[in-house]
Order: sequence, then structure tokens, then C-alpha cells
Amino acid sequence: MLKEILNDNLDEVNASEVALVDFNATWCGPCKMIAPVLQELSEEFAGQIDFYGCDVDENQLAAQQFGVMSIPMMVLLKKGQRVDQKIGFMPKAFLETWLRQNL
Amino acid sequence: MGRYEIAIIGTGPAGLEAAITATVRNKKVLLLGSRESSLKVSKAHKIANYLGLPEIAGADLAAAYLKHIDAMGIQITEDKINAIYSMGDYFVLQGNENVMYEADAVILATGVVAGKPFPGEDENLGRGVSYCATCDAALYRGKSAVVIGYAPKEEPEAEFLAEIADKVTYLAMYPEETSFTRENVEVLRVKPLSIVRDGRMKLVTDQGEIESDGVFVLREAISPKQLVPGLATDGPHVTVDLQMKTNLPGCFACGDIAGTPYQYIKAAGQGNVAALSAVSYLDMKKRSGGK
Ligand SMILES: Cc1cc2nc3c(=O)[nH]c(=O)nc-3n(C[C@H](O)[C@H](O)[C@H](O)COP(=O)(O)OP(=O)(O)OC[C@H]3O[C@@H](n4cnc5c(N)ncnc54)[C@H](O)[C@@H]3O)c2cc1C
Repeated sequence: MLKEILNDNLDEVNASEVALVDFNATWCGPCKMIAPVLQELSEEFAGQIDFYGCDVDENQLAAQQFGVMSIPMMVLLKKGQRVDQKIGFMPKAFLETWLRQNL
Repeated sequence: MGRYEIAIIGTGPAGLEAAITATVRNKKVLLLGSRESSLKVSKAHKIANYLGLPEIAGADLAAAYLKHIDAMGIQITEDKINAIYSMGDYFVLQGNENVMYEADAVILATGVVAGKPFPGEDENLGRGVSYCATCDAALYRGKSAVVIGYAPKEEPEAEFLAEIADKVTYLAMYPEETSFTRENVEVLRVKPLSIVRDGRMKLVTDQGEIESDGVFVLREAISPKQLVPGLATDGPHVTVDLQMKTNLPGCFACGDIAGTPYQYIKAAGQGNVAALSAVSYLDMKKRSGGK
């Protein structure tokens, strides 16, 4: 499950040990394609990584704060510190490897 | 529409031969491209080294290809594929006007595209460089952007971006007059040289630098990396093995896109190999109990 970020509120993300935030929008094709992939990964990594979805239209401040210029953008954070990020659609196996490397 | 077994992109010798071989092997094929075959075939004057057809004119070869395709009852779906997503077990292909196709395996036979990326383009993709104004426009509220357009048909994209951004600088890379209606679009006729990220984005041109928040490059041709996210490439070519396999399971490439030499008969031969490899891939998947 991806938890939706509401009202630019990142408190939970910042408190999480390891969090992945997916910046997306309803009008973005690659975002729609990567959504089911992230859904599957959130189940695989349950208990290890907290997954969040962040609609950039609904959360313009959060998107600005992260300097989002292209979506989808996946940001990995540990205790609120950004450790890495990926931009654009990626096949599942790639994302999986990336997440494992960062655990 | 249902899911196809093999989707083939491109209707040059590589794609057509792949479609013929896959059809002979009874696979459900989706062939995407143009009924005119390929301009690289139809525009060739005389071809000296094509087995069995000495001194054939390109236009005649293209006609013979289509006759063969028609005789086998193979349909050509006239669409341009803008993106191919590897979903793990299958692929989603995005055509013009967001038509989506699904296939278990994909064969890339799109030929090579001329034109190298600008220095700084690849490194900054998604970090200030974008290929799709309508996709990323919403992130440019109150910002400025440079758009490099290679054909008049890109102008509506830039105009759409200008509805949201404060200012759009449009570099027209063609001789035709531009027809923008919005006043916050400035048209320049300068030559872009490189893209630098230095806080904001800097486009270096032959007549000085242009600063902005983002650079959009709108080219006719799509590079293989851009077409298939995650695909391993080597310059303009897709990395393949002798079975025409790419790094993505179920994705194959053949013809000019798979590397030099650029030759008709080599393209057709590789199309044949790619189709047979796709057939074994599908059979193996079936045997291992996959969907
Ligand atoms: C003038 C000229 C003369 C030549 N003479 C010879 C010769 O004498 N002998 C020889 O062996 N070779 C010759 N060649 C080389 C030969 O043309 C190429 O090697 C051959 O055409 C490659 O075939 P292909 O199927 O790989 O790609 P192409 O023929 O380039 O076909 C690719 C097709 O895919 C389509 N396509 C691309 N992207 C997409 C997309 N995203 N969605 C849908 N469709 C897409 C393109 O529009 C095109 O129709 C010549 C080339 C030229 C330009």
C-alpha cells in the first residue's frame, strides 16, 4: 500500500526509518504505469520501507521542497534525510535492486 | 483489443521479416509502423547487394515487401510508438494519442536515428531536461523554460507550456515561420551547443547563454533509451547478443538499431533471428507455467 500525502504534510515521511516517496500526477502517463509496480514493491518491502504517494498538484509545496522537475520521481529517505532518487519509469527488477542496495 | 504475443515496432526490412517469421510460427503479432515500409528502402536508388534481386530499385523492393506482407494476411497498424514499458511479465506500448497496446514480447526494429544528444542532455534528463512539454508543464508554474523545437508541429506543445510558465524561449530549428499567439513566447533562431546545470539550467548557444528553469528538447526521433526505459544501449544502438536479446527479458532488437553495418539483408536476417528468439521466449514462459 502507498499512503497518500495530504496537505503537503511530510511529518510521517520524516519520522520513518526508510521511506520512499513517489511524486506523481493524474495526467502523467509514466506515473500511471509505474503505480502498479510500486504497489507490488510496497508489499515485498513491507516492514522495511514505508511507501508514500505524493500528487504534485495537490502538494505543490512538498514538490517544490524536493525540487521535483520531472515525474514520476521516486525519493528514498532515511529518517527524513534524502539518500537517493530515481526519475522516470523503471522496470520492476531495476527498482527492486535499487531499493535493496539502499537498505 | 486483448494482449498480443509479439509486438513489432518498425516496418523496414528488420520489422517486416520479424513479422513474417513470427506469423509463420503462428504467433499473434502486432506490427506497428507505416504501410509505406521505410523511407530508407523506398528512397534508395539502386540496391546492388540484395540476394536474388540484382540492381533492384528501392521503391520496387518496398513494393515487393508489402506484397509479401499482404499475401500472408499481416496487418500493419499505422501508429507511432512513443514509449514501451516493461511491466515485468509483459509490455505496455504507448502509441499516439495515448492508445495503449499490450504484448508478451517486443521486437524493436525502429532503425537508427540521426542526431546526437547535446552535451549535458543525458546527464540532466529529469533534472531540468525534458522531452515532453505536455507531461512536465504543470511543474513550471511561475517558472521559465527553453524549448528546442525541430519541427513546426512542436509549436502547440510550447504554447501549452507557455499557458503555465511565466516565459518560454522557443528555438526554432527549422526555416519555416513560427505562429505563436501568446506574448510570453520569445522565438530565437540560434544554435544550441550544450546544456549546463548550475543551480538553474543554462543553455549555451552560438550566440551566448540562455538561463531558465528547464530545457525541453522536442525531436522527431526518439532514442532507444527514451523509447524503452531501462534498456541498455551503446551510443545510438541497443545492446544485443547474437540471439538479438536485449538486457530486458522479452525485449529483442534487430536491424540498424542493433548496430552496424547498416544493410538491408543484415536487417532482414536479424529480424528473422529476433522473431525466432521471441518465439522461444514465449514457449519457455508457457512451459514454466507463466501466464
Ligand atoms: C539512401 C540509402 C541507400 C542505401 N543503400 C543500401 C544498399 O544499397 N544496400 C544495403 O544493404 N543497405 C543500404 N542502405 C541501408 C539500409 O537502408 C538500412 O540498413 C535498412 O533500411 C535498415 O532496416 P531497418 O528495418 O533496421 O530500419 P529502417 O529501414 O530504418 O526502418 C525502420 C522503420 O521503423 C519506423 N519507426 C521508427 N520508430 C518508430 C516508432 N517509434 N513507432 C513506429 N514506427 C517507427 C521508421 O519510420 C521506419 O519505417 C541504404 C540506406 C540509405 C539511406
